[in-house]
Amino acid sequence: MRKNRKLPGVSFVILMASVLLAISFSIQAGDFTQEDLERWDKEFMTVVMKGEKLFHSALGTNKVSCDQCHPNAANTHPETYPKFQQQIGRVVSLFEMVNWCIQNPLEGDPLPADDPKMAALLSYMTYERRGVPLAPGKH
Amino acid sequence: MKTTARYFKGTFRTGIIAATFAACVAFAAPVGLPPVPVPTDNLITPEKVKLGDKLFHDTRFSSTEEVSCATCHDRKKGFADSLPVSEGIKSLKGTRNAPTVINSAYLRTQFWDGREPTLESQSAQPFLNPVEMGLKDHEPILKIVRTDPEYAELFKNVFGKTGDQITMVEVQKALATFQRTLIGGNSPFDRYYFEGEKEAMSPAAIRGLDIYIGQGRCVSCHLIEQTQALFTDNRFHMIGVSANQMPQDLDELLAAVEDVKKKGTDIAVLSNPKTSSLGRYAVTRDLTDIGAFKTPTLRNIELTAPYMHDGSHKTLEEVVRFYNNGGRLNETDPLPELLSGGIRPLNLTEKQQADLVEFLKALTSPQFVQK
Amino acid sequence: MNMNRRAFLKTTGAGLMASAFPLSLVKIAFGGQAPAQDFTFGYISDAHLQQIQGNEFVRNWDMGLIRAVREANLLTPRPDFFMFGGDLAQLGKKEELDHGLEIMSNLRGKVHYVIGEHDYYLDLGEYWQSKIGPLWYSFDHKGVHFVTLNSILTYDSWIHKKWPSPMDRMLAMARLDNPNGSPFMVGEEQLTWLKKDLEKVNRSTPVVLFSHSPIQKIFKPWNFWTEDAERVQALLKPFEKATVIYGHVHQIEYNQIGNITFHAVMATAWPWPYPESYSQTASCLPKLTVPMNRADPFFERDATGWQFIDVRKGKVGMHYQLPDNKNRSVLFNSKAGKPQDVNYQDYGSRIPPQTHY
Repeated sequence: MRKNRKLPGVSFVILMASVLLAISFSIQAGDFTQEDLERWDKEFMTVVMKGEKLFHSALGTNKVSCDQCHPNAANTHPETYPKFQQQIGRVVSLFEMVNWCIQNPLEGDPLPADDPKMAALLSYMTYERRGVPLAPGKH
Repeated sequence: MKTTARYFKGTFRTGIIAATFAACVAFAAPVGLPPVPVPTDNLITPEKVKLGDKLFHDTRFSSTEEVSCATCHDRKKGFADSLPVSEGIKSLKGTRNAPTVINSAYLRTQFWDGREPTLESQSAQPFLNPVEMGLKDHEPILKIVRTDPEYAELFKNVFGKTGDQITMVEVQKALATFQRTLIGGNSPFDRYYFEGEKEAMSPAAIRGLDIYIGQGRCVSCHLIEQTQALFTDNRFHMIGVSANQMPQDLDELLAAVEDVKKKGTDIAVLSNPKTSSLGRYAVTRDLTDIGAFKTPTLRNIELTAPYMHDGSHKTLEEVVRFYNNGGRLNETDPLPELLSGGIRPLNLTEKQQADLVEFLKALTSPQFVQK
Repeated sequence: MNMNRRAFLKTTGAGLMASAFPLSLVKIAFGGQAPAQDFTFGYISDAHLQQIQGNEFVRNWDMGLIRAVREANLLTPRPDFFMFGGDLAQLGKKEELDHGLEIMSNLRGKVHYVIGEHDYYLDLGEYWQSKIGPLWYSFDHKGVHFVTLNSILTYDSWIHKKWPSPMDRMLAMARLDNPNGSPFMVGEEQLTWLKKDLEKVNRSTPVVLFSHSPIQKIFKPWNFWTEDAERVQALLKPFEKATVIYGHVHQIEYNQIGNITFHAVMATAWPWPYPESYSQTASCLPKLTVPMNRADPFFERDATGWQFIDVRKGKVGMHYQLPDNKNRSVLFNSKAGKPQDVNYQDYGSRIPPQTHY
């Protein structure tokens, strides 16, 4: 490439474009490495641990915590949701039943579905139930 | 309400298949309710309904010839009687509030304590109760239905029976069949909830529905489900109504049980308030059932004041306040110790309670409203 | 026992009577001891009264104990005595224990108490011993030898760790699924005492042992466990009729290990799931057990309750009083040599609420 005033600018752009093009051929959109997986898993587990703390704390107004009736989140059956929830009269997702429990036995206020606390609780409950096959709708 | 009279032209003799098909078609459920359960040995026909209607309104089947089923189950009063406790012959007072007959076809047991399993078996009891129709036995009824020419024709057409062939079995079947046609769905709630008519309920009633399912905790016993709403779970719960009238100690309990054993449940519970307060316990003798009464449907509840098994709650506002205080009218009353685990204070505001009442008023089926 | 003496005045004792099973002949004890009589005692357990603040306690658990006491007062004929099976308080506080004793004072009849971990770990049983009684003891009644143990002790090193406060120790033991918990045990002192105590008892005398922990090894993660269970069982082995009744698990359980029958009692406060419902660890729930109905949390008393216990020919029949539910009876079948549920023992007789965990 012959140098002149304009050429370095143009050539630089062409050079960068080539480099980028080359890079983009080797890393596909959505590609991820083992390192990514491990990092993301750790991210998830921090939320699971947050959930574990919340699950074992008084989320309502009467000092009662979820684990008093659900040690290790047992008998919460996250794998059966969505399902017809007798106590609510319609088909619901797990977070709605968590809120039912917060409002009723724990005499507290419900959490929004996208509240970080709810995400943490759901992560912990589901994690403690890992490996169990899905059974949506099961009572 | 679609009655067989309008849609079914024929008699029982046209064949079981046709009758069954017609029954299913004619009794396709209204909005919000499942198909009416009909026993296979007592299918619905227009003639049978007509016969049952006539029997239901016949005051001759009482010792004073003044009391019929319709006396306490008056079509103009939501098929109840607007009294706290019903009054039979000579205005004799019983101990219990007349339940509505509307939608009783969906109940798995009859009476507040479920002591009779079907509409058929229930219908025979009030005739023999001293504070209801006051008959010693069913003979006066049988005499009339066997000899009265109008009845003779009807029984012949419906059951193919005449004279002494007619028994209480046929009478009970006809009465039950008439009651089975008293079905009420299609309320403003049904149109809102199951048909998506947003304008069918007022904003207050819509808020009330939210409370009903949520903070009010009503939905667990007074069922609303995904495609139907019976408003009853058909179970028995001790919710604390008139708990102070229940036997207070072992001696009183033993006396009440003796009463039941001596007189028979039907007569004992309607003659003595303390015995009546036993509720389902009188039938099962299970302490979990003490003071427990059947969850009534809330459909048409606006029409059937006063409320509870002894009519002790005059208005819906009172009822809601009772539940809000966790099974007592006043917060300062003691909590009944044998209360069902489902009853607890609700912490509803005055506005929430008012909204809940508005929702309850949206459960009325238009065909039963008296203009 | 005469059918008419059935508690709660049931006139149709369908399925309730042990007469459904053939009974072994009564053995006359020698050594001048009177043969064991038939009698009934009541058992209320695991109240877990929990203070919110001041005089305010968790209403749900209060109602459980109040209801049990009320129902027990309606039992007729009157039982000979009552046991309280441990965990009267949730966090061992004086206020909680006093509140519990106040409610229990309404119970008509003599009460013997078993201590639970929720009563013990705040002050290591000091208040309990001053207000209630000794932590282990024995007594005889109508020819049966009763023993109560404090079976919720644990390793001294754990108890006497450098806890920031006694409440921290209590909270650590209160949390059922605590990964840093410590297994229950009876310990050397009581094992020595028990050996001596049982030496005086004739081998044909029925023995009933009250304990909070199961005297079995069922599920370690939730302390459904007694570390020295085998040593206690060995001391009971020589007896023809031995029964262990325990609390802590908040569910119906029963088992037969050799000559010893084991029965769990219900909690008045809240139910616990069966260990099999925690999928990450294997559990050893006795195969014999027909589970209680899975609870509907709307009904706060569902899967809670109390029991009255018939002693018949030296073995026990458990009659579980389950509010908002059908009652259950588990009786000893002397022909089969093990306890059986009167209605549901057969797999074919089970109902959905028992299999839906």
